[in-house]
Amino acid sequence: MKMAFKEMKKSKSKFLILGSIIFLVSFLTFIISGLANGLSMDNAALIKNMPSGHYYLNEDANAKYNLSKIDEGLQKDVLAEHPEATAFSIQMGFFNDAEDKQHSVAFVTSTESDLFQYVKDGEIVLDRTLEKEGVKVGDILTNNQFSGDFKVIGFVDEQKYSHAPVAFINQTNYQEMYRVMEMQTLFIPGKDVPAISGLDSFTNKGFLDTIPSYSAEQMSLNMIIWFLVIISGMLFAIFFYMMNVQKIGLYGILKAIGMKTISLFQMIWYQMIAITAVSLVISIALSQAFNLVAPEGMPFSLTMNTVLTLSAVFLVVGFIGATISGFQIKKIEPLQAIQQGEM
Amino acid sequence: METFIIEDVTKSFQNGEVEAKILKGVNLTLTEGEITALVGPSGSGKSTILTIAAGLQKASGGQILFDGDDMTAMSQENIRKVRSSEFGFVFQSSHLVPFLTVEEQLDLMLDVAETKMDKKQQKEEISRILKLVGMDHRKDAYPPSLSGGEKQRVAIARAIIHKPKILFADEPTASLDTKRKKEVMELIHELTKSLGLTTLMVTHDDEMLPYADRVITMRDGVIV
Repeated sequence: MKMAFKEMKKSKSKFLILGSIIFLVSFLTFIISGLANGLSMDNAALIKNMPSGHYYLNEDANAKYNLSKIDEGLQKDVLAEHPEATAFSIQMGFFNDAEDKQHSVAFVTSTESDLFQYVKDGEIVLDRTLEKEGVKVGDILTNNQFSGDFKVIGFVDEQKYSHAPVAFINQTNYQEMYRVMEMQTLFIPGKDVPAISGLDSFTNKGFLDTIPSYSAEQMSLNMIIWFLVIISGMLFAIFFYMMNVQKIGLYGILKAIGMKTISLFQMIWYQMIAITAVSLVISIALSQAFNLVAPEGMPFSLTMNTVLTLSAVFLVVGFIGATISGFQIKKIEPLQAIQQGEM
Repeated sequence: METFIIEDVTKSFQNGEVEAKILKGVNLTLTEGEITALVGPSGSGKSTILTIAAGLQKASGGQILFDGDDMTAMSQENIRKVRSSEFGFVFQSSHLVPFLTVEEQLDLMLDVAETKMDKKQQKEEISRILKLVGMDHRKDAYPPSLSGGEKQRVAIARAIIHKPKILFADEPTASLDTKRKKEVMELIHELTKSLGLTTLMVTHDDEMLPYADRVITMRDGVIV
């Protein structure tokens, strides 16, 4: 360990360059991860905040929730058999506020359940982002597809769907607005859920994938994240490979005088861990600071859990990269180094 | 006292379909407190026998007895242990670790040799050996700031700090000027005598031979 740190101290610029690159890559990864998570919440917080369970769509909907219609009789039977279950529907739409300003929302209605905000006829509960847009409790909202008015009775946190704030309305109002009697989806919480004839079932994750654009959006961002993680591992492998090539003579002599190969590997590992740890600490601090000052409208959510998971992945990938580069140390013959001359 | 016996050692390489015989049965006995110099023309096999004796490459045949143990029958790990604790090495180039100070070079060797000294004893021993080789005033210097002669002195200090029984020196003065050559050889001679080392040295420099107790000449893979 002493030797590893001595080398880092003596060759500061070399290790600073590597550290800076790892910092930039990890910082970028954290920011993109924050954006991916932010966009994911912006797109589907309504579903992501649900407990684990199974979602049911009718078979004819081809795994597209907006094409699904649950037969009313079947819904009645399932809800009777599973009192904790609920049926719900989501449709994109808009309302006009008291100043006739239009706001896009995702209208959500459900059967009476603890899982969704249940509101009475003519009432509406909105996501809190609309409060920031000037809507207040007691405001009267209108919609050209609805003959009556909605009275705002409250706001809820983190209820978004398809990048729009959610508006919880009563089932009869929803039926009038969208001229449909059936609900789109059934949800039964819990792990052991039944197969229901005529319906396809989806896990929470599976249901998220039925949301148009959700999986495409997340897949692109996740691919960037994993590319960055792999790039950081490759950086370690390339950096240490080049360093090792320069130090073949030194390693050979150290082997000649009796140093164990594992001690040389340990030297690389200590250096890798030190560089990664320092780079990650700076990245974490800056990304958390960015979390606090991110612009209001930017969907950004970076939890400590995500940061720590990604940090652990960085360390593992860095370890693999450094170890792969170290395999050449195993092959070094002391004799070769002695014959090479001065290092 | 005979501490190192080389018996009928051969070394050959397969070069395509041709077998090149580098050593054709070398017999040599090294004695404690003596410098044995191996001389001979290039390609005579003198460096090969030194590296085989030092456990840096394998012999094709024969035996190498060190304190009664046959090194040719030892595992790689046991040979490494012998190299780290019982052997010292001085090469043509000093091969010092560029990012360690003079003092740290010796500290590293003590760690590699897994000596049972505590930190205080290590520091005292390093100081004693650096005085012995006349380098105590440069203990905080890094190799790039040392002259060729100084580097070789540090390399000698590193080779003896862990109290080895055998010192292998492969052309230790080849990269030095005449004045430094003399200084380094005098040092090796003095240490061999005062510490009771068994020294095997390869050289092609006749000026160094007066420092040797025995001169062995090799030609075409055999001692002549």
